[in-house]
Amino acid sequence: MSLYYFDHAASAPRRDEVADAMAPWQRGVVGNPSGSHKAARDARRAVEEARDEVASFVGAKPGGVIFTGGGTESCDLAIAGVTSHHRRTHETSEILISRIEHHAVSDAAEKMARDYDDVRVGFIDVDADGVVDLDSLMSLLSDDTAIVSVMAANNETGVRQPLDGVSALSKSMIPGGVLTHTDAIAAASWVPLAAMTATTDMISICAHKIGGPVNSGALILRSDITLDAVIPGGGQERGRRGGTVDVAAAVGLAAAVRITMKELADVNDRVLDLQEKLVAAVSLIPGCRVTGLGALRVPGTVHVTFEDLASDELLFLLDQEGVCASAAASCSSGAASPSHVLAAMGVSRERARGSLRLSMGAETTDEEVDAVIAILSGVVYRLRSEA
Amino acid sequence: MSGGVDSSVAAGLLIEQGRDVVGATLKLWGGVSDSGCCSVADVDDARRVAQMLGIDHHVFNYTEEFERHVVAPFVEAYAAGRSPNPCIECNRHIKFDLLFDRARRLGFDAVATGHHAQVVARDGAHYLIRGADDQKDQSYVLGYLGEDQLATLLLPIGAMNKSDVRGHAERLGLRTWDKPDSQDVCFIEASKGREDFLRQRIDLTPAVIVDRVSGEEIGATQGAELMTVGQRRGVLPARDGERRFVSKVDLRAGRVEVGRLEDILVNEIALDASSLTFSHDVLVDGSAVLAQWSAHGAAQSATLRHRGHLRLELDVPARPVAPGQSVVFYRVSDPTIVEGAAIVAVS
Repeated sequence: MSLYYFDHAASAPRRDEVADAMAPWQRGVVGNPSGSHKAARDARRAVEEARDEVASFVGAKPGGVIFTGGGTESCDLAIAGVTSHHRRTHETSEILISRIEHHAVSDAAEKMARDYDDVRVGFIDVDADGVVDLDSLMSLLSDDTAIVSVMAANNETGVRQPLDGVSALSKSMIPGGVLTHTDAIAAASWVPLAAMTATTDMISICAHKIGGPVNSGALILRSDITLDAVIPGGGQERGRRGGTVDVAAAVGLAAAVRITMKELADVNDRVLDLQEKLVAAVSLIPGCRVTGLGALRVPGTVHVTFEDLASDELLFLLDQEGVCASAAASCSSGAASPSHVLAAMGVSRERARGSLRLSMGAETTDEEVDAVIAILSGVVYRLRSEA
Repeated sequence: MSGGVDSSVAAGLLIEQGRDVVGATLKLWGGVSDSGCCSVADVDDARRVAQMLGIDHHVFNYTEEFERHVVAPFVEAYAAGRSPNPCIECNRHIKFDLLFDRARRLGFDAVATGHHAQVVARDGAHYLIRGADDQKDQSYVLGYLGEDQLATLLLPIGAMNKSDVRGHAERLGLRTWDKPDSQDVCFIEASKGREDFLRQRIDLTPAVIVDRVSGEEIGATQGAELMTVGQRRGVLPARDGERRFVSKVDLRAGRVEVGRLEDILVNEIALDASSLTFSHDVLVDGSAVLAQWSAHGAAQSATLRHRGHLRLELDVPARPVAPGQSVVFYRVSDPTIVEGAAIVAVS
């Protein structure tokens, strides 16, 4: 049975070029980059070349790139690292995040608030299309604000966020300015990050959403920001992230970044056409509503809701036909959880329970989209006739 | 598949019988669970068993329905002075209703569980029968099932003893073979108990505990909702040194009445007419039944009466049964067969 992989947003297919780039660093002698001998210097050079590539991907200086063990760790480092530092010199520390952040950001924020009485979390509203409401941010910013974190594009809906507006408010409204962070993990495949995050202080990316290995990510700082290391360890990454730097992982991230940058324009064009076709087709299915239609979205994601169907059942039957898709985040049990993103957008519980995310990437073909359109229509028809 | 040994073996046996099986675990409770059922660790166990058996495994999220049909009514019942059985409500509304419908929509022919009970086909109808292992029989919690569900329900381990079940688990190499059976209600932490759970949701009523004859105040409780009629546990003996049993709980008056066993025995149990179900034939007024009103209690001889209010007239007086408890009727001529069920009403 053919597999139609429409879950790129959960994890992108691993590129051959990435595997090839990583291979020399996965067997035989791989020096510890912190050492002083030749093997160490070779490893160190590979890491620093990777660092340069990641820096240019977002238009930052190499010294601002901190390699982490994945995107979640990168987000956690930004939130916890900045807030911990802020607490030393402030009585109260407030973390402002949007209501649609990934758990990597929201759980990190909520943990800080749970662990420390002097930390609180404020939530920036979004509108019905899932776009951050800048008025809401304006009303929340205060002298206590340690950090504002708004993602570049939402991982469930694909909706892009007004990062320049977030930065402008954060810098202008509070004397001294407030640090900004963006989870650019879902946006990285699609958006020229250097331009989109030019005014944002800290950017999180990860490799496995752009064709690289899992558990490889980076937090990039645009300027000399002080943050507490979450993993202090041996002082690596200029004391910001302890632990032997994983050469293969860094090289893999850089290779993925390199490919992404090279293909960005072409992939965007091609997948935009696929998205248009898919959106047009699903809009014809009675009762199917495309999420965030009124907003600017990344090309790869088509998120829909059905008022009368259950995600669990849609996914089951799609899976049976070889279609890999998802709905909201999976919780630790593996069950689909009610989406906090849809709730923040005001989508009804019934609709949210019938949500479906189809996400495409560079590898997706026209034929696959045609096949999925037919399969999805068939599945919906079948569930409705059995009802 | 709950992650427990019964459902794991049920799946394994069906596969050995050549059936096309998919495993499903229901996500019902989003909170902490240490009862041995429904925690993330249990889902992992179920998933791993499915992987080892070579079948697909899916997790279905029914947390909203579970809250609406099981947890919220559980709390409301206690607040109203009843003693609900949430496992039965879960079976009725979630496992054997919503899940059965879903299975049908997804193209399945049958649903199987690891319950210790049996379904027997006889003369074109399907009957629910007690499990072979008396100690583990779970026909009581399935007492509400009707022909529609029984016709498409498979209970692969019902004809076995528990030790045989564990033997199969070991033989199949399943890691749950020596996992202890889950105890108590899946959404109540065993380490904390019902009182703690209820206190987080409702105010509990303090009450004095009073001897119904002498009026002697023999104790007090911080949560009268947790005391049920017929209960002895938690009740101190009176001044005469004899054990006391709860005969009445009056939440409004903040008063629990207790009496000596022989003084509180009752001859009849009132039933809620709207809850009455029969598996097949209606039991008419005056029918003799064997009635069981707790998960592991012995069934008692009684007569079902419809005239006036629906009730069971007991052949032998028994301790009163708390409103909200389920009563399951077994056939007098063949005590393993379930004939129907009803919920105890306030008398």
